[in-house]
Amino acid sequence: MDLESLLPMLLGLAWLTPLASFVAILFFGPRMGPHGRNAAWVATAAIATSFVLSLAAFVFWLAHHPVQAVDHGGHGSSHAAAASANPFRTVALADADAHADEHGNATHAGHSPTAYSGDWYTLYQGGRLKLSIGWYIDALTVLMFVMITFIATCIHIYASGYMHDELHDVTDHEVHLADGHHLHRPGRFCRFFQALSLFCFSMLGIVIAGNLAMVFIFWELVGICSWFLIGFYFERQSASTAANKAFIVNRIGDFGMLIGLMALWGALGTLHFADHSVQGEQQPGLFSLVRPAATGHALQVPDGMVAFAAADDVGRIARAHSDDPAAGVHEVAGKIDGWRNLGVGQWLLFVAGIGIFCGCVGKSAQFPLFVWLPDAMEGPTPVSALVHSATMVAAGVYLVGRFYPVLTPDVLLVIAYVGAITLFISATIALVANDIKRVLAYSTVSQLGYMMLALGVGGWLAGLFHLVTHAFFKSLLFLCSGSVIHACHTNDMRKMGGLAKVMPWTAGTMLVGCLAIIGAGIPFVIGTSGYYSKDSILAQALSFSQANPAHSILYWAVAGGALLTAFYMFRLWFMTFAGSPRDHHIAEHAHESPQVMVAPLIALAVMAVVAGWTLPGGFGIANLLEQARPAGTDVGGAGYFFSTLRIPAEHESHVGAIHITATMTAFLTAAAGVLLAALMYVWKLISPGMVAAMFRPLYTLLSNRWYFDEIYHALFVSPVLAVASLASNTDRGVIDRFIDGVAWAARQVAGIDAWIDRTIVDGLVNATANATWNTGLELKKLQTGHLRQYVMFIVMGTVALFVLASLLLRNSFAG
Amino acid sequence: MNSVSDLGSIVSRSLHDTLALSLPLFRPELCLAVTVVLLLLCRMLPVLKMLDSAWVALGGAAFALFYAWSDLRGLPGWLGGDALASRQEIFTGLLVFDSLTAYIRLLLMAFLVLYIPFTKVSGIPDREDGADFYTLVLGATLGMCLMASANHLLMVFMAVEMASVPSYALAGLLKGRRASSEAAIKYAVYGAGASGIMLYGMSLLAGLLGSCHLPTMARQLAGLAGAIPAGNLGGVEMVLVLGGLMLAVGLAFKLSAVPFHFWCPDVFEGAAAEVGGFLSVASKTAAVALLLRIAFGLGMPVAVLPGADSSSALAGQAAALQGALLGDARHFMVATIGLMAALTCTLGNLAAYGQNNMKRLLAYSTIAHAGYLLMGVAAAVALSGSHPASARTAVSAVAFYLATYLFMNLGAFAIVAFLRNALRSEEIASYAGLIRTSPGIVVATGVVLVSLIGLPPLAGFWSKFLIFSALVEAISLSAERPLMLVLLVVGGLNTVFSLYYYLRVLKVMTFDPLPADRPGEALSLVSFPGAIVTALAVPVVMLGIFWSGLYACAQLAGAFAS
Repeated sequence: MDLESLLPMLLGLAWLTPLASFVAILFFGPRMGPHGRNAAWVATAAIATSFVLSLAAFVFWLAHHPVQAVDHGGHGSSHAAAASANPFRTVALADADAHADEHGNATHAGHSPTAYSGDWYTLYQGGRLKLSIGWYIDALTVLMFVMITFIATCIHIYASGYMHDELHDVTDHEVHLADGHHLHRPGRFCRFFQALSLFCFSMLGIVIAGNLAMVFIFWELVGICSWFLIGFYFERQSASTAANKAFIVNRIGDFGMLIGLMALWGALGTLHFADHSVQGEQQPGLFSLVRPAATGHALQVPDGMVAFAAADDVGRIARAHSDDPAAGVHEVAGKIDGWRNLGVGQWLLFVAGIGIFCGCVGKSAQFPLFVWLPDAMEGPTPVSALVHSATMVAAGVYLVGRFYPVLTPDVLLVIAYVGAITLFISATIALVANDIKRVLAYSTVSQLGYMMLALGVGGWLAGLFHLVTHAFFKSLLFLCSGSVIHACHTNDMRKMGGLAKVMPWTAGTMLVGCLAIIGAGIPFVIGTSGYYSKDSILAQALSFSQANPAHSILYWAVAGGALLTAFYMFRLWFMTFAGSPRDHHIAEHAHESPQVMVAPLIALAVMAVVAGWTLPGGFGIANLLEQARPAGTDVGGAGYFFSTLRIPAEHESHVGAIHITATMTAFLTAAAGVLLAALMYVWKLISPGMVAAMFRPLYTLLSNRWYFDEIYHALFVSPVLAVASLASNTDRGVIDRFIDGVAWAARQVAGIDAWIDRTIVDGLVNATANATWNTGLELKKLQTGHLRQYVMFIVMGTVALFVLASLLLRNSFAG
Repeated sequence: MNSVSDLGSIVSRSLHDTLALSLPLFRPELCLAVTVVLLLLCRMLPVLKMLDSAWVALGGAAFALFYAWSDLRGLPGWLGGDALASRQEIFTGLLVFDSLTAYIRLLLMAFLVLYIPFTKVSGIPDREDGADFYTLVLGATLGMCLMASANHLLMVFMAVEMASVPSYALAGLLKGRRASSEAAIKYAVYGAGASGIMLYGMSLLAGLLGSCHLPTMARQLAGLAGAIPAGNLGGVEMVLVLGGLMLAVGLAFKLSAVPFHFWCPDVFEGAAAEVGGFLSVASKTAAVALLLRIAFGLGMPVAVLPGADSSSALAGQAAALQGALLGDARHFMVATIGLMAALTCTLGNLAAYGQNNMKRLLAYSTIAHAGYLLMGVAAAVALSGSHPASARTAVSAVAFYLATYLFMNLGAFAIVAFLRNALRSEEIASYAGLIRTSPGIVVATGVVLVSLIGLPPLAGFWSKFLIFSALVEAISLSAERPLMLVLLVVGGLNTVFSLYYYLRVLKVMTFDPLPADRPGEALSLVSFPGAIVTALAVPVVMLGIFWSGLYACAQLAGAFAS
């Protein structure tokens, strides 16, 4: 079996297995063992199967597309060389007639990444338009599958220990009922794993999706799953509010995404990424429309968009040639290039890119829609680890990466700035947060900002590389924090301290996670996974700011962010594990978590260290990702609206000068941050309280999270609520009163009717029924049971019939 | 020499008629006959005694069903051709093969294939009686097939007797049970009386019209009506009416139509429920078919007759002319059938009210349904003179009704039989609270009974709907408007009446408390009896939803009324 039919099968199965688990638990969950205990095994087995299948796909991929071992500036690879060495082939496997097109399509000019695409199931097809459930598989897809299923497997195992309480009835101490008691409810073990399985299915659906419509479907499924999971303790006011908030804020982003989808669909008539066949006819996908092979994959506004934007002119031409439409079409075709050079349609492509990015802003918690993610920590900790660190929020970054060929440099600049603002704001908030999960939440937002920024400044590889490495160490950090919370029964770091002694495994693995997230390593020798990915981001940002001195603030944001990251992460670690216990009651009861929870920590810690490594021979995630680099993005680009903007090609950042500066910056900022944290929280040379007092206004601003929630509340929530209450008052005071009046009148009339019905109509009916009943009983008496009478009846019946007939028929026969 | 060659040609013609024309269209009946012989052989040969007679009977019935099915499929009208041309007289005109024959035969064979496993599972007959029982059942069914295809008064009488005599024996199947023997004796004596009257009527008609061949009789009748101006008929008319009525008595006995229904409740109550199911479904189906045969045979001359002028246009003209002359005969038939229909329907439904025994209740329900069927027949005959297409639709409605009735009523009797085995009682009161122990059976009972009422979305709804729409068509098109209007009102009212006693059974099953000392155990749908009940109840639901396929077959059957 060749790769192009093997991969969709393997990954398709890996994608559907969690769905099967969801369905099984949905219907049979409570019957799986005592209290549904085995639901955890079903879900875990399903996701582990997915992992094995993904791994198989990964191995097959590597066997067919060996990762190139090439020279690489600082780390020993040159991306330009890697790109040119790629075997290029785009295979459109669509519906039935796939193989006929395959080879004709495989001979593109220019460099395209290896990708397989096709459709499993067509939802709707009319004209050029085709909505389908399909796949688009390249190195990125395969890598994401392995990463997601691996982390999800770890988290499933971890959760089967963590959610143990839900096996029995639960008394929720955070919910106070009206009678002063705490809420007592049945456990929801099954429901948790059911939602987790559905979530994995949805997330994998986004990754494997072959077109934007399918992405959108699973995008929303992920949204609804996060609503289930964040609101898992929905009796708690805070949890249900957080769930709603996450859902609603995401809808705002999705609104922009819908606009982007409409722009693409309306102008281009397709949402497929790759070339595909519609009714046996080959149609170009989005990628080849925006970056046609004919132009060497350089970005250009597609013909459809130009014609769409120049609708007035097209209409005029069409009217002029109303007698001969073919000539009109010909004339329009001739003018397209001219219009394109004038910039017609640029804004449409810009709107499409920004629109899709809006969805990513919501899902990946970017400024200004990041407010939902910290609140989402109300969900159980495994959920935080899975949904809000490694997968769901990664979907936004993933989509930007997947959609990268269509994004113009202008859009990229917007993305870069959004990322920079996000990373800075959230890093500052993390500095002063005291809730262990909130620190991690803000650090997630900040790291997502890093990725967006990296993508925005042209670092396609850097951004996605960081996405993968971050997934490992952030889920590790979350699971460690969960382990701590499990032991201490509190989230407040001010009550912790000195836990390293009682929880050595948790402390150790969490230290690994912290080192990874700050990008610790021995410069130019070796480092944790974060070291490599963060380096490439810094290098690309530096390369960008050198090319565009006006935007050099982006570089400083990255560098400053690295400092802040190092500080707050080690503040967290020191406050939790170092020193002596602050609350002895908690410290005494603390204990190391069970093995089922520790084992995933170790697995993830190993990955957090090695995920960034490039093995001798060239195997490594970075080089693997390079295989999936979208066509045409290995060269730079220039802005249209921002005419001075120049996006540097990614391989330019590997020149020695830039690379060395970046590495040293990363190392020094990280070291400074750790040192500062140690000064304040270990050696206590600087009192945090004093610093807070010194910068009182700033501290207040930060600890109130820049007042974002309050501002949003005043700007959006309050007006909406005001309008809502106005509407509700109108409804109650005016409309309801009128309706009540009408109803009252109707009741009076009905009363009269009822009287008539009861006395006259019912009386008649009852009389009839009685008569019928009595007749029935009388008729019964006719049946005497005497045979003699029966035979008499035959004769009598015949005679009676004859008499009747002769009476009735006298006229007809006798005239 | 001339006479010898004549004899030779007659022999060779009749040989040709029998072997080449008739027997190929007679295969289902042949199958039954062979099976009956086999069953009797099995009794005699010690080796074959080991063989369970139910399987032999089922095998024979299955072959017969296959042939009946292939006959129906082989009709020229299958899948939208012209079905009118399918009429063919066989056995020198004693029988006729057309779409109605094929359809009714298919119904009867399907009934057998369902009925034999049902009796096998319900345990009546026991192994000892098996061969007798199935011999009788198959023999009676053979007679019913002949009823459906009779084309000659001789054949009519033969067929009715062939269907009836085994039935008398079946009624007395429960040997040593007084009620059963009494039922058999009543049935036999009553049947003998009815047959005697029918035979008398036949002889009157045959004597007056000079033939027993129905189409010939129709022509003679038309000639009689055309030759003598109205009013001068005198005694001839009286004798004709008397003969027709006496013939009707025999048919009414088979249909259990009022006022010749008296045997029905007593026989049903006394005989086993299995026998009740047989009499209620198979016998009724054949009787309705025979009624259609005689009514259309005497009321509508066929266009092409054997030996008549082969120019079909001329023959058609002649038939149309005769058809017009037979208007009075049709009017007489419609009045008789319609009157009986109204009486039968009303009495059956009202008398069911006070019944405490489930079999007796079903007996009256059977009578009531005969009434509905007669309404359809009356509408068909009323329409046949002026609007042949509408008449065909009305016949289709009756044919459709018969098919759904097979499942509904056999289902009801099967449930009674299985509950008798489980509860040792057939009283409605003993079904109290059954839903708590056997919910599946109660649901199946609900399906069957509600379908018998005729509520959507079950099969019974479509049957009633089609019958009533045929009546409406007859009101608007035919000359019999007043009678048809009366029938429609009576039919509608009776549907309302019937709600009460059917739902009362369900009420007892669901609402009444479970008696503490309930004997026997619950009846599950997951068992052999349950499977039989399911196999009968599921089609009731499915035909309520996907009824168009069956209706297409019924339309084919309706095409016989050309």
